Amino acid sequence: MIGGIFFQLSVRSVRLNFLRSILASIGIVIGVVAISSMGMLGTNMQLQVKDQLSSSANTIVITADAIRMGPPGGGGPSGSQSSSSSDESGIKKTQLNKIRAAVGTNGTVIPIYSSSTEFTSGNVPARGTIYGMDPDDATEFLDIGNGTSIASINEALVGQTLADTLGISVGDKIKISSASSGPPSNSSSASRATVKVVGIIDTRGTVADRVSTDNGIVVSKEWFVAQYGGKDIYDQVNVIVKDTDQITEIEDAIDVKLNTDEKTPAVRISDASSQLDTISSTLETLTTFVLAIGGISLLVAAVSIFNVMMMSVNERVQEIGILLSIGTETGEVRKMFVYEALILGILGAGIGGVMSLVIGYSVVDAMMGTTEFFFLPDSLIYIPEGMLVGMAVCLISGLYPAWRASNMDPIDALRSE
Amino acid sequence: MSGTPLIRLVNVTKTYHLESGDFTALNDVSLDIMENDFVAIMGPSGSGKSTMMNQLGILDVPTTGKLFIEGRDVAAMTKLERTHLRRDAIGYIFQKFYLIPLLSAYENVEYPLILKNKTRDSTGRTQAMLDAVGIDREKSEHRPNQLSGGQQQRVAIARALVNDPKILLCDEPTGNLDRKTGYQIMDILCDLQRKGKTVILVTHDPKVAEYAQRTIRLDDGRIVAS
Repeated sequence: MIGGIFFQLSVRSVRLNFLRSILASIGIVIGVVAISSMGMLGTNMQLQVKDQLSSSANTIVITADAIRMGPPGGGGPSGSQSSSSSDESGIKKTQLNKIRAAVGTNGTVIPIYSSSTEFTSGNVPARGTIYGMDPDDATEFLDIGNGTSIASINEALVGQTLADTLGISVGDKIKISSASSGPPSNSSSASRATVKVVGIIDTRGTVADRVSTDNGIVVSKEWFVAQYGGKDIYDQVNVIVKDTDQITEIEDAIDVKLNTDEKTPAVRISDASSQLDTISSTLETLTTFVLAIGGISLLVAAVSIFNVMMMSVNERVQEIGILLSIGTETGEVRKMFVYEALILGILGAGIGGVMSLVIGYSVVDAMMGTTEFFFLPDSLIYIPEGMLVGMAVCLISGLYPAWRASNMDPIDALRSE
Repeated sequence: MSGTPLIRLVNVTKTYHLESGDFTALNDVSLDIMENDFVAIMGPSGSGKSTMMNQLGILDVPTTGKLFIEGRDVAAMTKLERTHLRRDAIGYIFQKFYLIPLLSAYENVEYPLILKNKTRDSTGRTQAMLDAVGIDREKSEHRPNQLSGGQQQRVAIARALVNDPKILLCDEPTGNLDRKTGYQIMDILCDLQRKGKTVILVTHDPKVAEYAQRTIRLDDGRIVAS
């Protein structure tokens, strides 16, 4: 109960200088809000990415290794002069067959063409990605929210974002320009080809299967080849496995079949987990950086707490002299000022914690448009963490003033006015 | 105990190192104060009265020489032991009362008890002390700045007595009080001395010094009359 009287003295000192104490605590409030909101924002982003990627966790993505040299595979109608993203590297038909063999009945193999291009509807231009694939494959992993699947060659599916940008809906037409200066001979009429929108693809967000349809369109592979050439040289091959637990096994099988030369692998094989690692580490770096900025505000708060504590000590020199001369131990005087710093810390961290909840929620809502991950423990943990850091900062700021107070010479202290 | 002096100073010298050179505030002072003495220490300003009080109150230690309180060498004690000796053996009464401004009169008196027992007072001793010096319950709830000078000094006396110390060290206890209140305070001190306390009083007021059984005169850091 010895803490009682010293705690009382600390409380009364804070109350006596209430405005000053509150102002100093506001620094801690801001610091706590900054680090917990930023931490929560970063974590919510990570959780969202993880959630989106997990929707394609069953997908293996195989692309041609960029270093791979040599002529494109046989069967291409216009050979290497074909103008598209697949003009010199891609998954060849022979490789595709090997993949099919490796996967067997354990999954579905989906070869995909893709290219970056420009769309117009009316007078509104937009850039995005065009994917060419088998219409049956498309329905395998794309959700068509509005409309139907592709039934004939001139039909297309449009991503939600692109549809919003162009202001189009099912039944509208989109003009697609050929990205190249030299259109393939058999498609000169199609260089400004028009497709009819038959379906709108639901928003997919960040996906691991590298088919980002939100700002793109999906056409049949026949239409794509007619427009861009590059027949049977696929930009990527996706494998949707039946059992996610088998994913590593299947990847190994593909690797063995295709990457026969270890020094110059022919294809690159990736899946959601490897992509998640990359994105997570980027987001973590970003979060740490933003947390450090929040930390600076706590540093400023530490200075103001230190300042207020020094003022408190300097104003109470005579009182400290009285306490010491009538037999108060130095440790007890020290405790009194540490309590005072802690009260400021608890005050600041308490208000900061409540405000973090409100401001953090608003920030996450405003920046991400969703708060579905906000109340998860991984996200909310930043509030108590921020509060603890805030209190620790106050405690540390109060140590020197407390030490100074307890080490005063009682005679000098008593004499001071 | 009657044989050994309660306080013994043996060739005590206190020198302060100032920028202008060393200043000897107490010069080879030897003195015995017996239990239940009533001693007044007098002298002009700068004669070493305050330094003497700081020595007797164990707020400071001699530069050379020895100071014994209850037979114990003060210089040989640790800082914590001196703190505990101040708390338990000495009651301080100051000219400016020096009550703790953030505590009520009651809490000011209770404070040394809490220091000693590490718990709030549940024995009623605090209230008894306040009653003894004429501070009623209503007044005891007040903060020091709500009390008159005489009331504050009464509270200070109650605080000095609450741990039942042997020595009462009074530094100009009437210096900030009017004459009438001053006499009342002196009467309380005389009464305490009659009840067995050893009272040491620093003053420059000869009328106050008349209350003492023994007067020690200091000048230039030396005892000139005892």
